[in-house]
Amino acid sequence: MADLLAVTGLRAGYGRAVVLSDVTFRLEAGEAMAVLGRNGVGKTTLIDSIVGVTRRFDGSITLAGRELAPLSPEERAGLGLGWVPQERNIFRSLTVEENLTAVARPGAWTVDRIYGVFPRLKERRGNMGGALSGGEQQMLAIGRALATNPRLLLLDEPTEGLAPIIVEELLSALVRLLRAEGMAALIVEQHAHKILPITRRALILERGRIVHQGASAELLADASLLERFLGVTRR
Amino acid sequence: MPSATLLGQALISGVLAGGMYGLLAMGLSLSWGLLRLVNLSHFALAFLSAYIVYELGTKYGVAPWWSAAMVVPVMFGVGAAQYWLFDRFHVNELASLLITFSFAVIVEAGIQIYWTADYRRFETHYSTLSFKVGPFFVPVLELVLCVVASVLAWGTWMWLRKTYVGKGLRAAAEDADIAAAYGVDHRKLAYLLSGIGAAYAGIAGTFIALIATLAPAQIWAWLGVVFAVVIIGRLGNPLGALLAGMLIGASESLAMAVLSPAWAPVVSFSVLIVILLWDPEWL
Ligand SMILES: Nc1ncnc2c1ncn2[C@@H]1O[C@H](COP(=O)(O)OP(=O)(O)OP(=O)(O)O)[C@@H](O)[C@H]1O
Ligand SMILES: [Mg+2]
Repeated sequence: MADLLAVTGLRAGYGRAVVLSDVTFRLEAGEAMAVLGRNGVGKTTLIDSIVGVTRRFDGSITLAGRELAPLSPEERAGLGLGWVPQERNIFRSLTVEENLTAVARPGAWTVDRIYGVFPRLKERRGNMGGALSGGEQQMLAIGRALATNPRLLLLDEPTEGLAPIIVEELLSALVRLLRAEGMAALIVEQHAHKILPITRRALILERGRIVHQGASAELLADASLLERFLGVTRR
Repeated sequence: MPSATLLGQALISGVLAGGMYGLLAMGLSLSWGLLRLVNLSHFALAFLSAYIVYELGTKYGVAPWWSAAMVVPVMFGVGAAQYWLFDRFHVNELASLLITFSFAVIVEAGIQIYWTADYRRFETHYSTLSFKVGPFFVPVLELVLCVVASVLAWGTWMWLRKTYVGKGLRAAAEDADIAAAYGVDHRKLAYLLSGIGAAYAGIAGTFIALIATLAPAQIWAWLGVVFAVVIIGRLGNPLGALLAGMLIGASESLAMAVLSPAWAPVVSFSVLIVILLWDPEWL
């Protein structure tokens, strides 16, 4: 099976609340996929379900053919999930470098290579995580995920709440990761016109269900679809 | 006002006595700061170790370092077992304090039943050994204790900062769920740390056996001041615990020399209050 990630008939939520229903999609190795949708449609719930911090009611999630359902978040991380949570959640009481080395696993992504992608982190390597700006925290959150040498990056709104110039810096780093390094990624984004050009495929969520799935380029060209599900008009 | 020599002697004795505070504080600080478990039984484990070292030494003539070689690993096991219990029953910070307090009372009773409430003293030919530096006397055992405590504090501090396990522990202390999602197995690390903390109680107990007079109720004698030391040195910081121990030891000793023995606790607890009022996030 060539699929890196296969989500089939996933129903998941929190406590008794079902947020996601009948979510089915596949991601190939080296592929980047955008996850779009308005606020509160369940994008974070989808990412968190893969990570293993939500309640799964039904369905299956496999990573490289291995069923994740019975596994703890620790075990899933060990199989190669690199999570960049929406809240970033970097370790504030650890230095920048310690944030990376505390979770590092052997592989191609060394601390120096991560500093190559995010030179700002190198400048601030000795600073406490809590002392970083929002943009730097986001870079650190991505760097920390890379330090685990994942097979799949799960990015939850990496540009949210950042100044435009920082957004550009982050996106160009992302492009490098996806294109040059061939990193597989699931990227939740509010800015469809920013993320569609750098991903191969996209899916749109609406009230916990997938309402559209297809090539990013086609979606980018389909103004009516974007308008209908995301309320964006092409700039 | 006492003479300069007297003050100097008080300072030296105080710093050296503070080494014991620091050594006792270290294990407590590690489990409180990194596992969020306030382990009052730490004192009981230290005294239990002291009594065992005393027993082996006086009844069977075992040298204290050989006794320590046995007691310290056993205490490591006790510490790990305690963590198993806390984890199994999802014990929180406050409950851990109450449970370990109860545990300490039970250990105290056990000591009293086996060794009675009589004062016990482990006499060795080196227990009162000291040497002179200028006009000052330096007790050898206390100096050895301070060296051991310093090596442990420094080693533990480096371990927390430089090793994968140490950094994982600090990350998990801040946010266990997030750390887990990056593959940090918080539980495995917690067993290790809980064991290490109790092992330090074993080491402290060995020195208590050699330096102090043993009685069951003595378990509580150091509770107040060591608590202050743990907090002043910052939770989870072994080097801070040692330095705070020496600072408090010195200030107590100076207060005793200049004022009167009754003033000793006033100094340390005033420092504690000032720190907590000045920086509420210190804890
Ligand atoms: N911990 C939780 N417990 C209960 N309900 C939750 C929890 N987290 C989210 N929800 C609910 O699940 C639904 C989907 O939330 P989710 O965070 O997945 O949306 P989202 O698409 O990521 O939104 P946003 O764009 O604002 O990040 C919402 O209705 C939300 O109220
Ligand atoms: Mg979200």
